[in-house]
Amino acid sequence: MITHLKNGRIYCPVMGADGVVQDIYIRNGKIIAKPASHEKISQTFDLAGKIVMAGAIDMHSHIGGGKVNIARMMLPEFQETKNYSEPEAHICTPNCSHHATPNTSDTGFRYIEMGYTAAFEPAILPINARQAHLEMADTPMIDKGGYAMLGNDDYFLRLLSSNADQKAINDYVAWTLHATQAIGIKVVNPGGISAFKFNQRRLDLDENHSHYQISPRQILKSLSRAVHDLGIAKPLHVHCNNLGAAGNFETTLNTMGASDGVPMHLTHIQFHSYGTEGDKKFSSAAAQISEALNRNKHITADVGQILFGQTVTASGDSMMQHLNAKLANPKKSVIMDIECDAGCGVVPFKYRDQNYVNALQWAIGLEIFLSVEDPWRIFLTTDHPNGAPFTSYPHLIRLLMDKSFRNDAFAKLNLDAQAMSNLTSLNREYSLYEIAIMTRAGAAKLIGLNDRGHLGAGAAADITIYTDQSDREAMFAKPDYVFKDGELVVKDGKVVKVVWGKTHTAKPAFDIGVEQGLKQYFDKYHTIQLDNFKISNDEIAEDGRGGIINHTN
Amino acid sequence: MEITQDNAPNNPSTTIVTCPACGLLCDNVSVEIKQSRIRVLNTACPKSIQFFEQALSDDSPKINGESTTLKQAISHAASLLKASKNPLFAGLSTDVQGFRAIYNLANKTNGNLQHINAQSMARNMAVLQSSGWQTTTLTEVKNRADVIVCIGTDIISHNTRFFERFVWLNNQKSDAMFTDSGKREVIYIGENLNTKAGISPDGRQPESVNCSKSDLPEILAVLRALIMGKNLKAQNVAGIQISDLIAVADKLRQAKYAVLAWIAKDLDFPHAALTIQSITETVTLLNQNDSNRTGRAAGLSLGGSDGDTSANNASTWLSGFSLNNDNIEHDALVWINSFNAKKLPEKTKHPLIVLGNANTKFEQTPDVFIPVTTPGLDCSGTLFRVDSAVILPLKKIRENNLPTLSEIARQIEGLL
Repeated sequence: MITHLKNGRIYCPVMGADGVVQDIYIRNGKIIAKPASHEKISQTFDLAGKIVMAGAIDMHSHIGGGKVNIARMMLPEFQETKNYSEPEAHICTPNCSHHATPNTSDTGFRYIEMGYTAAFEPAILPINARQAHLEMADTPMIDKGGYAMLGNDDYFLRLLSSNADQKAINDYVAWTLHATQAIGIKVVNPGGISAFKFNQRRLDLDENHSHYQISPRQILKSLSRAVHDLGIAKPLHVHCNNLGAAGNFETTLNTMGASDGVPMHLTHIQFHSYGTEGDKKFSSAAAQISEALNRNKHITADVGQILFGQTVTASGDSMMQHLNAKLANPKKSVIMDIECDAGCGVVPFKYRDQNYVNALQWAIGLEIFLSVEDPWRIFLTTDHPNGAPFTSYPHLIRLLMDKSFRNDAFAKLNLDAQAMSNLTSLNREYSLYEIAIMTRAGAAKLIGLNDRGHLGAGAAADITIYTDQSDREAMFAKPDYVFKDGELVVKDGKVVKVVWGKTHTAKPAFDIGVEQGLKQYFDKYHTIQLDNFKISNDEIAEDGRGGIINHTN
Repeated sequence: MEITQDNAPNNPSTTIVTCPACGLLCDNVSVEIKQSRIRVLNTACPKSIQFFEQALSDDSPKINGESTTLKQAISHAASLLKASKNPLFAGLSTDVQGFRAIYNLANKTNGNLQHINAQSMARNMAVLQSSGWQTTTLTEVKNRADVIVCIGTDIISHNTRFFERFVWLNNQKSDAMFTDSGKREVIYIGENLNTKAGISPDGRQPESVNCSKSDLPEILAVLRALIMGKNLKAQNVAGIQISDLIAVADKLRQAKYAVLAWIAKDLDFPHAALTIQSITETVTLLNQNDSNRTGRAAGLSLGGSDGDTSANNASTWLSGFSLNNDNIEHDALVWINSFNAKKLPEKTKHPLIVLGNANTKFEQTPDVFIPVTTPGLDCSGTLFRVDSAVILPLKKIRENNLPTLSEIARQIEGLL
């Protein structure tokens, strides 16, 4: 059975197609070259005037696992259906039926309705990975995957502080990818989550962990090297030290140099781009951060844009979330130390456009978007739900593509914050081609999804089709059609067929001898058996609904 | 290891399994399997032995107490649910997979959900939803805790192996990374607590603040005030010398990692949530930024069983809401007790369907009884540990002809 999409305007950066009219053919879930004339076309969609892109890929979104579920559990009031008032009303699209803590089916439905066909949970605690996968298994419509957190676990910190050789670290990192069914490795506040358990309250890049006497820089160097040596596509995903603290941009700049040129991805970099200038000792360091990103070709970043309204911040960074808990709105929070593995902090938050700091955070994120030159190295995220719910992406895309819309929004901000931002001097407007890089081709390349994020022959037929509208928010909120693995699943912005998607993983080779040391460690210090730590393929494929795709070459 | 052809029925085999009998989910239980008889080899935990060594009795489905075919039982259950406007799915003693299936069935039938431990879970949820908390998990306790306060509970009545596995460690096989496990301080606050488990390996007695359960709210409020740095004029509270509580407060302040443990089920008095909140706020105060502080503190909610943590978590991600404890209007009752035959439904005037443990002996004969597998014994499964951080697979270790709860729920759903 062949599906023919004809006359659409294709935006596919991998093919270099910038709005060219070109036909696409789909067979067995894949995009194929033009079939021979005798082959039967089963259905044809005339897409004259429509815009065709690959399905979008969210490379950083907290969609499943312990802290996300704690956020849901702690905030039943967020589950009510609300009539949105400004400014929330214009952030949440008409499709936005929920808030910052959607349940699993809401998550899948809202993503696919916007033309997103994959999302990656960026903070899977290895010990809690089974929960993350259970939740992702119950998330319909989209593909998923995740990054396993290392660098605050005592096994790694013991290895590093005892000067274990790089091979031992590499084997442990690879073993973790297998055991947790992840596709990448993340480090959150390197060393800081562990240090907090020893009563350290801050940890800077070159400051030592009080117990292990090693620094975040050493952790970053070791983990980024391991990820690189293993040959997986996704560079080490780094949530820098000092999240949210005024003046943290210097830590961020120094972090870029911590890997000796080995690739790293700095996540939600907006939260790490703060200076200390001005009366309020809080300023934008977007210019310095963007300039460094432009210069350091081994670094990629996603923004973690904030948008105004109620949300909840859910992070592995228990150390910094403990500091942020005093700003909780509503006034409650959860901070956890977890299993000599990591931690978490869940703090509800309301970003207000008349609040100086919040308004400037909004501007800083946009300044970074507009000042980083290479769209292949900067990614569109709100760090869902930490900066804003993912459902606000269409609004964010319009802010990037429409200067007058952006400047109108800026003019409503806290006046002191306006005085501290150069946003209106940035004239850039993102093109559709650049949006396609940021949200499709670039994300797929970064994570290593070779058959996603593009429309060339051989690609999985994850395809989104929009009506070209000058209101880009309206356009990106409601695609005409979305195809998932070749099946029509969304029509006119509404789900017409439920599918379940697959789990993407990376499983590089390693020396199984690593399990000897791990078994001794588990038996002596842990509270579960090593074998139970590992998640089998069968657990993910249960009910025949899910399945695993391994992206290791 | 699942049962394979290799362990033929007559040759006993041994395997290591995960025990779902309490919230600790000990996954180092060694059992001998001979035909369908199981024997626990390496622990004296009565809960574990009772769970694994339960016999498999009559597995036939029943309508009004009379044996029938599975097909007829499913069909009758479906017809009762069809006739119901708002059934209640209660007990919910099952694992993640079972809960998922029941959740779908409840959605399809306009049903509500209520766990057997709803009342005690609601005490914790009330605190989580009003102020949040700062908590820890079992491996952190094992490796860090130097002061452990057992509040209103001896813990071992619910979690038999807590002290053996996480407090007093055999330093050869099991040890703590960051503290000398033999030197930990254990403090009990409460009445009639079995404090024997709190005696250290070298014979050191635990401290006890003996007070009646009804005085716990007052005593914990005073402890919180002391940690807050308030000066109290009273000399004693509820018969306890303030100086005794000051001594406890000092120990908490001096600890490197103080753990304040409670079990919601043991705090069964009016407004117990406020007492739990006193505990969690004490932890929060101990963790406040203060350059004079040299240590950390954390709360630890223990107890848990019948898959309560699993059901609550799965409900939360599937629906957005944790399980609630409202008195729920209903016109039919579906009771689920996969794990424990002794957990019986309350008497009801409505149609009663039971999907549960084959050994269940009823006080009220259900309209329909369909015996189902017990996860961890008759089928594989997945459970959350009481600290919510660790999720473990359960194994099938016993041959049986029982259907799983998921299969039954799906088949009933198919007939609606």
